[in-house]
Amino acid sequence: MSFIEFSDVTFRYPDSKKDTIKNLSLKIEQGELISVIGHNGSGKSTLAKLINGLLTPTQGAVTVNGITTAQEEKRIDLLQQVGMIFQNPDNQIVASIVEEDVAFGPENLGVPPEEIRKRVDEALKTVGMYDYRLKAPHNLSGGQKQRVAIAGILAMQPKCIVMDESTAMLDPIGRKEVMDAVKKLNEQFGITIIYITHFMNEAVEAHRVILLDHGEIKKDGSPKEVFSDYEQMINYGLDVPQSYELVKKLGIDACILEEDECVALLMQHLGVHGKA
Amino acid sequence: MSDITFGQYYPSDSVLHRLDPRFKIIITLILVVSMFLCNSVVSMAFAAICTFIFIFLSKVPFLTYLKNTKPIIPVILLTFILNLIYVPGEHVLFNVWKFSVTTEAIQTAVFIAIRIILLVIVTSFLTYTTTPTALTGAIEDLLKWLKVFKVDVHTMSMMMSIALRFIPTLIDEINKIINAQKARGAEFDSGNVIKKLKAMVPILIPLFISSFRRAYELANAMECRCYNGGKGRTKMKTMHASLKDYFALLIAIAVIAGCIAFNYIKIGGLY
Repeated sequence: MSFIEFSDVTFRYPDSKKDTIKNLSLKIEQGELISVIGHNGSGKSTLAKLINGLLTPTQGAVTVNGITTAQEEKRIDLLQQVGMIFQNPDNQIVASIVEEDVAFGPENLGVPPEEIRKRVDEALKTVGMYDYRLKAPHNLSGGQKQRVAIAGILAMQPKCIVMDESTAMLDPIGRKEVMDAVKKLNEQFGITIIYITHFMNEAVEAHRVILLDHGEIKKDGSPKEVFSDYEQMINYGLDVPQSYELVKKLGIDACILEEDECVALLMQHLGVHGKA
Repeated sequence: MSDITFGQYYPSDSVLHRLDPRFKIIITLILVVSMFLCNSVVSMAFAAICTFIFIFLSKVPFLTYLKNTKPIIPVILLTFILNLIYVPGEHVLFNVWKFSVTTEAIQTAVFIAIRIILLVIVTSFLTYTTTPTALTGAIEDLLKWLKVFKVDVHTMSMMMSIALRFIPTLIDEINKIINAQKARGAEFDSGNVIKKLKAMVPILIPLFISSFRRAYELANAMECRCYNGGKGRTKMKTMHASLKDYFALLIAIAVIAGCIAFNYIKIGGLY
């Protein structure tokens, strides 16, 4: 059985006339770094909330590590395993001091004080915010606030972190800080990351990309596989990474997603040799 | 508006910062009471000296304390003037129109002004040296006994700490809304009082709406971090009363005793 499993899940908001998620089946293994893309209203955020049980399916079932999300009695257990980072960094920081906010999760779980101290320090060091541990959150930049939020989740020792458009309100520097932190968690601790974003440059950094459209999975595969059909991406109302767009506009038929690749390709076409 | 410092923690590593927050609350209460008890020159001077020693020990710059007294200057001036002209006395110094100013009046006016300033300093000493979380945690602990009467002390203290946490965020938000409305041609600075009050409506309504949205998102985020009320919750920073806390309490008791005792020492014609 996979770590996260959606089996034939349908979800409809109580006051809505149509399904937000339609007959969706999905398997995610432990340790994957997945990005989820799709235009507004494609069901990305709903998918995220279905994973940690903030929403429960209208039909079908979602299981995480053997726990069915609809099981009320396993709720805390599920929430501890699946951490979630939201869009607005201001609205998820509870305490007025960075380290006290990071301690909030483990405190709720009833972890002994010395152990909390250890976890908080480790989590803050992992996201590179240890020097700010005594600062007030409202004096931090957006990227720093989101890293504090990530540390807060990390201190609960989750198996999976769902990022629900967590970089949407950040500037490019903040986005990079958050992306780097997330990749580090995935590589070092093997934490499964589900990264919901509408920045295609971020999406291609994942191992696997899932494209949602009207509550259905349209594409699921490596970044190259998903982005290969340029026209189709545009039809789904999505951007493509800038390098890809540039290459396409130059009339070169190649699927180029990363900047380095793009530079190498252009140099090759221009007949320039040397280091990029 | 961003220079509101009241209720803000000033990070430092002083003796006072390290005291048990529960004791700090009790000590502050004792000091506040002693400020009210002193009514002779000697005892007021004693209270003032004690307050300055506390300021010094807190390692928080004196200017930071003064900033807190700035907003209440009008209050101090008003009470000063009212006391000056209304307090009756025998030694009339001079007459202004229908009012006569007496030595007693001057003394009372000065006393009350000093008392208000000391009160502000003493209470801000508590908020400067204690993080809001520690403060609300201490209040929660001190009010534990209310649970007997089915009062949900934990929820109350959580509400308080969240309110404190969101003050700076909401101030930022108000400034943003004001700018946004100004960009749309709203005027906040002109017109009479009623006009100015009416101009507040387009600020308050967006603020309320966004606060509700924030509250909803925060509730979700708290749930995601396994918040389940106060049940089975632990604290990273546990409160331990140590010898130094009892010692500090003893000092506070000494201060209040001193204030009462010094009331009986009179210098010259002053009381």
